[in-house]
Amino acid sequence: MATQRIEINPVSRIEGHGKITIYLNEQGQVQDAHFHVTQLRGFEKLCEGRPFYEMPSLMARICGICPVSHLIASAKACDSILATRIPTAAAKLRSVLNLAQIVQSHALSFFHLSSPDFLLGMDGDPAKRNIFGILEKNPSMARDGIRLRQIGQQIIEWMAGKRIHPAWVVPGGVSEPLTPECRDRILAVLPEAGEIAQRTLDWFKSVIDQFRAEIRTFANFPSLFLGLVSQNGELEHYNGVLRVVDSRGNIVADRIDVLQYQDLIGEAVEPWSYLKSPYYKPRGYPEGIYRVGPLARLNIADRCGTPRADQEWAEFRELERGAILSSFYNHYARLIEILYGIERMEQLLKEPEVLSRNVRAFAGANNLEGIGVAEAPRGTLIHHYKVDENGLITWANLIIASGHNNLAMNRGVLQVAKHFVNGAKLSEGMLNRVEAVVRAFDPCLSCSTHALGQMALHLQLVGPDGSVLDELRRG
Amino acid sequence: MARILIIGIGNPLRGDDGLAWHATRLLEQELKGQDVEILTCHQLTPDLAEAASRSELLVLIDACAEGAPGSLAIKPVAPAGSFPGFTHDYNLETLLKTSQSLYGCCPRAVVFTITAESFPYSSELSSCVAAAIPPLVARVRALVSGFHKDSAGRHESAEEGPLSRPGRADLTTVN
Repeated sequence: MATQRIEINPVSRIEGHGKITIYLNEQGQVQDAHFHVTQLRGFEKLCEGRPFYEMPSLMARICGICPVSHLIASAKACDSILATRIPTAAAKLRSVLNLAQIVQSHALSFFHLSSPDFLLGMDGDPAKRNIFGILEKNPSMARDGIRLRQIGQQIIEWMAGKRIHPAWVVPGGVSEPLTPECRDRILAVLPEAGEIAQRTLDWFKSVIDQFRAEIRTFANFPSLFLGLVSQNGELEHYNGVLRVVDSRGNIVADRIDVLQYQDLIGEAVEPWSYLKSPYYKPRGYPEGIYRVGPLARLNIADRCGTPRADQEWAEFRELERGAILSSFYNHYARLIEILYGIERMEQLLKEPEVLSRNVRAFAGANNLEGIGVAEAPRGTLIHHYKVDENGLITWANLIIASGHNNLAMNRGVLQVAKHFVNGAKLSEGMLNRVEAVVRAFDPCLSCSTHALGQMALHLQLVGPDGSVLDELRRG
Repeated sequence: MARILIIGIGNPLRGDDGLAWHATRLLEQELKGQDVEILTCHQLTPDLAEAASRSELLVLIDACAEGAPGSLAIKPVAPAGSFPGFTHDYNLETLLKTSQSLYGCCPRAVVFTITAESFPYSSELSSCVAAAIPPLVARVRALVSGFHKDSAGRHESAEEGPLSRPGRADLTTVN
């Protein structure tokens, strides 16, 4: 039985609010650990009764970091309700917008949130171990981070009207065609973004060996990996089919239509978190633990599909024989995905079709149910809606990227805590590593806390001496 | 490069805290075509240092909690302070310092504030703050106009000889 408890509250340098509890036994050794997500959203309920065509704009409000992902997954679910096939140009433009967001979001994660750990050390002064410390320690890296993120956000603004919560992606396509001037402006900034991405990748590869202990322990365990791939197995963030691979790199499920996601994914809830715990249904709960996101995407794909990213991907996959298991490598994977995103945007924008004036299909509600799936920066994002005959939402379910990783983040927190935390003599650096394993997943908690059915609840009445006087469990 | 950067800061869904969003909407119309970049945001972030470094004059519009509700204050700001441990504590002084540290230059900066009356969950301004928006916009417009005139004068003087001095736009404080 646990006798002591360490609480890290809040977990810093992540998006949203969470805390970590580490339970120690009588010898001061770590016995258990939980990553609690302490905020609750209510989007599934508040959208009930709204017309389905409002959903993309409404759902984009879930997040200020990755609103484009929610726009896109939501619009795809609405396309499915319209029962239309959207114009090819619209699909390509949505794809470019999604990649621009992946570039800016990954840049935020790598430079602003995680680089302080790499540059100033996991044991560095916590007062300096932040983005401002980077400004002082390595101004050129700070400039690169600011510029790369700015380029991603600028592309979103040029295409969609504004950086956060744009309304350009609509059911049936996009609201306005791309102008040649806008395309040229984007193409003009991509080479600079590519140079920054390559420079940062080269630097990160040169220092990654300094983090052997973190690589060994940061959620480094066998699990499944899930995500979208294109029909020919390449990295894919907009369309595609679901693929699942195991820790040896073997394909467990492939070419699964996203409409069949419920055959693959089950959802469980725990009383200590508002974040639900999806699992791979054929293996049950909690054995069906799987991971999504940059590392998972590079693990499931056969290649990236762009020249420079393919070279980097090949080098990356040489790290291990099967799937790459350490979640610390999410940082590395993120940089490869930035490079891929820049190259892929250039490929797409050079196709003449992106300037087509036909970018939107119009229809009413022809299906009473719609499912939209896309790859968000943090992983696979699923929006699932049901409507009545008037097109009003009657039910919604969201499975958000960071939610898929809930089981893995919790197991990772326990793994790191067991390796680094000594209850007899605590140091800030130990606890920072426990936070850093969460940071490696780059969770977006404000995005991901979406309830399934009745919220699980665990209520404890604790006396002044810490003893539990009464307890109530639901769910 | 836009030579003047105007940043409106605040939360447009928290009553008077969103006053800068109202002011920048008016300024966008009034300063169209005048080499002015106008941004609005909920809080200052280090990312803004790049845009700041590209400008010669930075105007920040914000709500403040001190003073009589509806009163307008204008003051120049210089780069200063140490970097905070938390991004929410980032202010104009440290933004200017970031611009200087990262890009080797920072603009002259002026902050315009109106004292707020209340911060409810609302997109509406209180009447005294709403009444103070037109005078604020007029003062910003005058500052921009003065800056352009000074710049033109500097340009002409520079062509005439080396004895020219940089001009200074009007920076009085109004309470």
